[in-house]
Amino acid sequence: MNGAQHIPEEDLALYAMQALSPEETRAVQAHLDVCPACRQAVSEALGDLALVGASVELQPLPQGARERFMQRIGADSNLATSSDRSTRPAHSEATVTAMPRRSLFGTIGWLAAAAALFFAAWLANQDHNLRQQLNAQRWQVTQLAAKADRAQDLMDALTSRSAQRVTLTEGKQTAKPAGHATYLPSRGALIFTATNMRPLPSNKTYELWLIPANGTGPVPAGLFRPDATGSASVVLPALPQGVPAKAFGITIENAVGSTTPTLPIILSGS
Amino acid sequence: MPENQVNPINPYDRARDAGRSATGKPEEAALLARVIKGDQDAMVAIYDRYAPMIYSVALRVLKDPGEAEDIVQEILVQVWQNPASFVSERGSFGAWLVVVARNRSIDRLRRRKPSESVDEVVLPATTNLANEAERSIMLEKVRQVLVGLPTEQQKSLELAFFEGLTHTEIAAKTGDPLGTVKTRIRMALTSLRKAMQS
Ligand SMILES: [Zn+2]
Repeated sequence: MNGAQHIPEEDLALYAMQALSPEETRAVQAHLDVCPACRQAVSEALGDLALVGASVELQPLPQGARERFMQRIGADSNLATSSDRSTRPAHSEATVTAMPRRSLFGTIGWLAAAAALFFAAWLANQDHNLRQQLNAQRWQVTQLAAKADRAQDLMDALTSRSAQRVTLTEGKQTAKPAGHATYLPSRGALIFTATNMRPLPSNKTYELWLIPANGTGPVPAGLFRPDATGSASVVLPALPQGVPAKAFGITIENAVGSTTPTLPIILSGS
Repeated sequence: MPENQVNPINPYDRARDAGRSATGKPEEAALLARVIKGDQDAMVAIYDRYAPMIYSVALRVLKDPGEAEDIVQEILVQVWQNPASFVSERGSFGAWLVVVARNRSIDRLRRRKPSESVDEVVLPATTNLANEAERSIMLEKVRQVLVGLPTEQQKSLELAFFEGLTHTEIAAKTGDPLGTVKTRIRMALTSLRKAMQS
């Protein structure tokens, strides 16, 4: 503890956490302005707190977060570069949106091309992660092996004849929002892409549902939020294996998602 | 939805996540120097390094993936737009990002305006989250220390740091005297620092 004129360590720690009342904060601030020793103590407390913060369990970023960020910095830095961004793998979502809907191979050809692009970006990410995690511990190696298995599932979902391919549309309208699902029940492997999705408030998310053919309850198949162009994707969400689908549907849920769909189903297809 | 997107109830009940998002060479200073020149690839490299950590801290506080992503964007877009201001005597860039992620999240949680003092956060140069191997060992040690704290200390630190409660609010919530709450938080941080220095 410092001398009587200094701020007690207790209060400096609370100040560092912004956990003092406004009046107390002002008093501490006034002292810090003139006391290098207490500023140093706050700095050290912040160092401790950074460690506390960094000790949280890492969570995966939402689908498309990286692309959304890249669009932000692409737009902010130079408009000219945004026309050139198709050369960057991570901008594949934007590229997909721009692709003609009716290619030579029709919708399935479009979907396969789109999925291939996602796959390329996804592989690039995996490669990046692999390089990043060379020093990581054994459990991570196990995780990466699991991801490699999922890559095989993805390939099978794209190529297998038994993969179910479904196009989702909004009610009776000829409205723009559309989703495309490719699903391989035996592997529980699903690739879903959506276009022209309407933006959501930050406390909401779209949730994809698998409606099983055997009449059991809808299975949550991933959360997604559209990017600035209205595009979104769900690639290989955690799904049980061996559940043939009768249909797929999309609902709007609170941001953490739901275990049962909240009506109405805004897009569906079977 | 995948279980791993659900915010853990007990932040200290875990042991498997050492290692985590990588940092390491090239050094963050070199990356920031490239960002100053408008190098988008360098900014994306910074994103890949730190976004998961910023996101995880924000999600831990806000319990809302959309809002947590907003925090990531807000902070890193700010780095992109004004990188020169980060190449100063702030100490570790990674540690700075963690503290700012927490502060911005608490601000949002409490619907406050962004803290005015937030960008003036100055960290000791010794808080270096940049080296992958050191970082992984260090964070594992941090978790062990936090897990080993008396429950009341853990709880007080948790409420102040991750839930953004003031010491008065914590005292009201736990029914403990104000001085006790303050002491617990200080003791928790002191134990952590001692353990990390040993
Ligand atoms: Zn002082």
